[in-house]
Amino acid sequence: MNRHVIDVVALHERASATPEGAARAVRAHRAPEGPAPALSLQERGLAATQRWFARAIMTPEGQAEAQGEAEAAARLQGSARLGPEGRLEIYRRAYHGRLVECLADDYPVLQGALGEAGFEALCRAYIERYPSQSPSLNYYGRLMPSFLRGEAPAGPSVAPGFAADLAALEWSIVEVIHERSLDPLSLQGLAQVPAEAWATAHLVPNPALRLQSFDYPVNAFFQAVREGLSPAIPAASPSATVVYRSGPTIWRMDLTAPMFVVLSALVSGENLGDALGRAAEGLGDVDPATVGERVTYWFREWIASGLFVGVQTG
Amino acid sequence: MSNRFGLPNLGVGIGLRTVHYPHIVEAQPQVDWFEILSDNYLHTAGRPLHFLDAIAARYPVAMHGVALSIGSVDPLDRAYLAELRALRDRTGARWVSDHLCWTGVAGRNSHDLLPMPYTEEALAHVVGRVRAVQDFLGAPLALENPSTYAEHAGAVMPEWEFLARLAEQADCALLLDVNNVYVSAYNHGFDPDAYLAAIPFDRVVQLHVAGHTHHGTHILDSHIGPVIGEVWQLLGSAFERAGGVSVLLEWDAEIPDFEATHAEALRALEFIGQRGARLQAAP
Repeated sequence: MNRHVIDVVALHERASATPEGAARAVRAHRAPEGPAPALSLQERGLAATQRWFARAIMTPEGQAEAQGEAEAAARLQGSARLGPEGRLEIYRRAYHGRLVECLADDYPVLQGALGEAGFEALCRAYIERYPSQSPSLNYYGRLMPSFLRGEAPAGPSVAPGFAADLAALEWSIVEVIHERSLDPLSLQGLAQVPAEAWATAHLVPNPALRLQSFDYPVNAFFQAVREGLSPAIPAASPSATVVYRSGPTIWRMDLTAPMFVVLSALVSGENLGDALGRAAEGLGDVDPATVGERVTYWFREWIASGLFVGVQTG
Repeated sequence: MSNRFGLPNLGVGIGLRTVHYPHIVEAQPQVDWFEILSDNYLHTAGRPLHFLDAIAARYPVAMHGVALSIGSVDPLDRAYLAELRALRDRTGARWVSDHLCWTGVAGRNSHDLLPMPYTEEALAHVVGRVRAVQDFLGAPLALENPSTYAEHAGAVMPEWEFLARLAEQADCALLLDVNNVYVSAYNHGFDPDAYLAAIPFDRVVQLHVAGHTHHGTHILDSHIGPVIGEVWQLLGSAFERAGGVSVLLEWDAEIPDFEATHAEALRALEFIGQRGARLQAAP
């Protein structure tokens, strides 16, 4: 059974630094014609100031021109080096740049598959559709797989189904990073189950485990990228992968279709007798005499890999 | 002079960053202390805490956040405060800091440190919220001066006056980032020494230094690269005025290996003298 480790997962820090995405030369802005509009006392108040500033910086850069330079001139101080709209643009770029960096942390292989420009366009559409409403960025990217399946405008440069599958795989890695994990069930622990209770016992899955099936072989693509190769975008072909964490280490393991059926049953809480019995459904072309042997091998591998943390009898 | 809160001088530390986790846990290098980014360890029950627990068990830590949004007109996020308090209790962090800024409004979060208008209305607003946060935490909150790229036209006082009055009225602590002073001084055309002269140093519990990126029209607080000489000079001046205080290097992009990052932090000793050495740090 092939499993692959994801070594150091280094995320951009939730730090106070201004991202270098904001560093491109700030455009020269034409000074607005005529005097800046006068603002009332209420319009200069803290609440109105914050609402205006937030709206201005969250406006997509392409639409910023229409957003009105005159109000920036009325609300912000400028200098000979940099006018009010140029200053606002630093914040606008930092806002978008930071969220693009966050999504690139979550979806590095998708970024490679789409290319820098394609990925950035996708992120900008996502940021506009889903502005952050949480103090945390840890789960900001969670809607990317469904966005790619349904709403993403114009679609990415590769098959949308592939992009969505790859995003789902990458998001499951983020989820297992943040999910709690418990000490794994050992083979010795499993041996404590009395023989008569075996068939009706249930396994408790590792909370930091995600089991998925895909229309595309996205884990093989992911692995090839991790190995420094430049794989072509694959044709559709069903695949299944389990992603899980054991201590600080994150693992990915591909599953055959029969393995996926059995492991899904175990993870969803079916008793061992029923779940392991499902192997016969998927191994119809295998000599029935060897099915049990094969399933026992899978089962021992899964236990030894730490996919389960407990066993319940009765 | 030491700070009025009795918070210890931890020595010269570095900001804890994820790329250094394995080295720190395995090699256990000699480091005075680490500043942890609070928000890396909130909304998670997983891998980040695995490393944090091991590191906080061995080294003194303080917490530094970016999402408190102390200046926003949105209600204080009590759930966020509860998470901060729980993290403080989990790690034994010596203090909790965030920035004088706001990060969002009307329920939308920019995840950026946005500039406050330095007005009487804003001052009264932030004073009340800092008091509420301190009551909740049961400890002083340290607020940091941010790097800013814009000033609101309606400001009636400079940032240093706002910060000093806020600290006095809310009875809070300050985290003085001398790189941010330098960056904002360039961006807005003020004298960084005048800024330092206005700071109530008996409230300063920590100093930050960092690298930045000069773009001609403005300086970005990018936390990239080594600290420039002028910022080290400001650090020395601030350290002297504070009578000895915890010092910390932030490095957040193009981060070198641990040893190089730590070596850059220890350059602080050239500018703060022997008083900054570990032997002088409070237990």
